[in-house]
Amino acid sequence: MGTALLVSPEMSETGSETAARRIATEERDRARFEEDALALSDQVYRVARHMVGSREEAEDLVQETYARAFRSWRTFQPGTNLRAWLLRILTNLNIDRGRKQQRTPETQPLEEGDYFLYNRLEESVGDGGGEAEERVIERLSQDDIVNALAAVPHDFRDVIVLVDLGDFSYQDAAQILDIPIGTVMSRLHRGRRVLKRELAETATEAD
Amino acid sequence: MCDCDGCEQMMQPYLDRALTEEQRLEAEAHLDDCSYCRKRYRFEETLRVYVRQAVEEEPMPPELKERLAALRTPLL
Repeated sequence: MGTALLVSPEMSETGSETAARRIATEERDRARFEEDALALSDQVYRVARHMVGSREEAEDLVQETYARAFRSWRTFQPGTNLRAWLLRILTNLNIDRGRKQQRTPETQPLEEGDYFLYNRLEESVGDGGGEAEERVIERLSQDDIVNALAAVPHDFRDVIVLVDLGDFSYQDAAQILDIPIGTVMSRLHRGRRVLKRELAETATEAD
Repeated sequence: MCDCDGCEQMMQPYLDRALTEEQRLEAEAHLDDCSYCRKRYRFEETLRVYVRQAVEEEPMPPELKERLAALRTPLL
């Protein structure tokens, strides 16, 4: 131990150079992390926008997410999925903000199947041929779709937003939401059916 | 060989590419023969694209982008 005190001036200079280099490297890593995170902000915002009720709420949530991400950047493991890491923070903040777990019964059967929307549209447009239903869908405005999505219970909607809009795998969505992968799959399945039921109502009203 | 009910059950995992190879071949064999199911699969694909496009049309507000950039740590 005593020998450690016998440091020559040369060695101590080398030591401080090493420390300076380490700080410079850390600064560079941090700057790169922040750039990478900011480059994903459009995608993070899009997910937030459809997870929460209003635009203002989404903006606050994204800002809070980035503030926290920049503070705890050292806990991010380079080489892993940064977008998923950011959305995990966002999801936790959203829960901290008091979003309650929804008591949507996951086992209650939905009477509509996966062909429901097509069948409803086919009934409403009559025997107009194969593409008539697609034309009806095209008549739905952007607001109609956004509103139909907003009407899906949020536990289901979060999974649709991550998988269908955010292109996350089932596995990533499970990690972001901290739920088992089987739950991701069942919520996705049910959520899409609910979305189609909402769209069917709007589309056939619009007809 | 699956029937139309079975094919309906396989539509979502098929489009998510989550079926096993055997199930995928089973679904495709049915789709080759059944225009009823084929139309509904094609429609579902169109719908997914359409929903995604509708949602992507709302861009992030530029002020938010500026606020996020301002959160960056100033360089030493």
